[in-house]
Amino acid sequence: MRLTTLLAMAARVKLPPDYRHGVYRPWTAAAKANNPPGRRRKKVFVEPISKEDWKVFRGDTVEILIGKDAGKQGMVNQVIRARNWVFVEGLNTHYCYIGKTADYPGTYIAREAPLLLRQVALVDPTDRKPTEVEWRYTEEGERVRVSLRTGRIIPAPVHQRRDGIIPEQWKDGPKDTSVDDALDRTYQPSLKIFEEEILELQGIVEMRRAKKSYWY
Amino acid sequence: MAATLCRRFFGALRVSGVLQASPAACFPRLTLNLLHKNTTKVEPIYQCKFLHTTLSRKGLEEFFDDPKNWGETVVKSGDEWHAKHLRNKSNEDLHKLWYVLLKEKNMLLTLEQEAKRQSLPMPSPERLEKVEKSMGRIDLVIKEREVALRLLQTGHENPRPGEWRNDFLGRTYWYNAKEWPIPWYLNKKYNRRKFFYSPRVKHFIRLRIEQHLKKQARMKSLEKKKQLLLQKKFPHLAAQSQN
Repeated sequence: MRLTTLLAMAARVKLPPDYRHGVYRPWTAAAKANNPPGRRRKKVFVEPISKEDWKVFRGDTVEILIGKDAGKQGMVNQVIRARNWVFVEGLNTHYCYIGKTADYPGTYIAREAPLLLRQVALVDPTDRKPTEVEWRYTEEGERVRVSLRTGRIIPAPVHQRRDGIIPEQWKDGPKDTSVDDALDRTYQPSLKIFEEEILELQGIVEMRRAKKSYWY
Repeated sequence: MAATLCRRFFGALRVSGVLQASPAACFPRLTLNLLHKNTTKVEPIYQCKFLHTTLSRKGLEEFFDDPKNWGETVVKSGDEWHAKHLRNKSNEDLHKLWYVLLKEKNMLLTLEQEAKRQSLPMPSPERLEKVEKSMGRIDLVIKEREVALRLLQTGHENPRPGEWRNDFLGRTYWYNAKEWPIPWYLNKKYNRRKFFYSPRVKHFIRLRIEQHLKKQARMKSLEKKKQLLLQKKFPHLAAQSQN
């Protein structure tokens, strides 16, 4: 096997089929400590919700229907689809000490507990009440979430890039290509292969002829 | 006497400009011995007509970032190149971009290794991911163009010829052809391989098919059992599936 393939396989976390997803992501140290290889836990049944049917995303405002903080609204912090979990910022919390050592008692913090998808509902922006939501298509063909009670479109949450760049506020650095240069179309379709074209442009004339070989 | 000699020696070297104070602000333990920019370039004796070399005199500086970014914990970087933008670029542009990205990747890998050596976090490691993804996309675009051309000219997508063949155990598999210098009837190693099976193997082919069918039936019944269990746990699913 190629070395690159082997390294790629090692980098990817291979999970057993009966892996129980927890609050920590599988590639983190805490998850690896809790789920060492060969550990088998009782099966947890997760309601199968397809990727297309998923309605709640990070940044959405939801209201909690069942639980300690029932009736309160908050922003979704994290979503774990493997368990149909939703973490709402600051709500449904329990308190614990973290960073405990032999002499230090640890910091007392509030930690959010996960909520199932059935226990939360998206909030309608018009009357700020929880509603049932459906996926529908607009006139333009865009797929949007529509509240069934009022018929208003629930806007998608602002997607923040993982590297923290806001495209509207971006200023090009010395190594960045300008927008005009990046969008400039220079491609001319031709019947030449990439290698042939480059040889031609560089003025390299290949005088060698390949020896006859047999393919079987 | 030895001390004065050393001092004069160093003075002479400083005048000629060989010794240079290394601007290693980021990595204080690392010293660079960069050649001074004014040293004469030795011209090759023979004419290099067919050789294409970069006339850059920058040398080892290109393995390191802009000195302004040395010591920073966060270095801002723009968006990566996307396939839809790369498809609009000519082959020459893609060729040049590949090498620009390669040099950037080498610089980032050097930075990563040095940060590991000094047990420090690498400043903005997402840059490396962006560069690698962009390079992968360039490769993808060039492969797409090659495949399109090959389809037009030959009707095949695969660059390597092949066919379905049987092995000595009666299994049918896709055989990828190899490039040989001699024809097949002269090739002793190739002729020793058997791409046919004896009549005794037919019985075992039947058994293999049986095995495959049994496995499929087992998987199907397992799926059905799982569905029943899920419907017991989540009764509304049964109503949904009926709808």
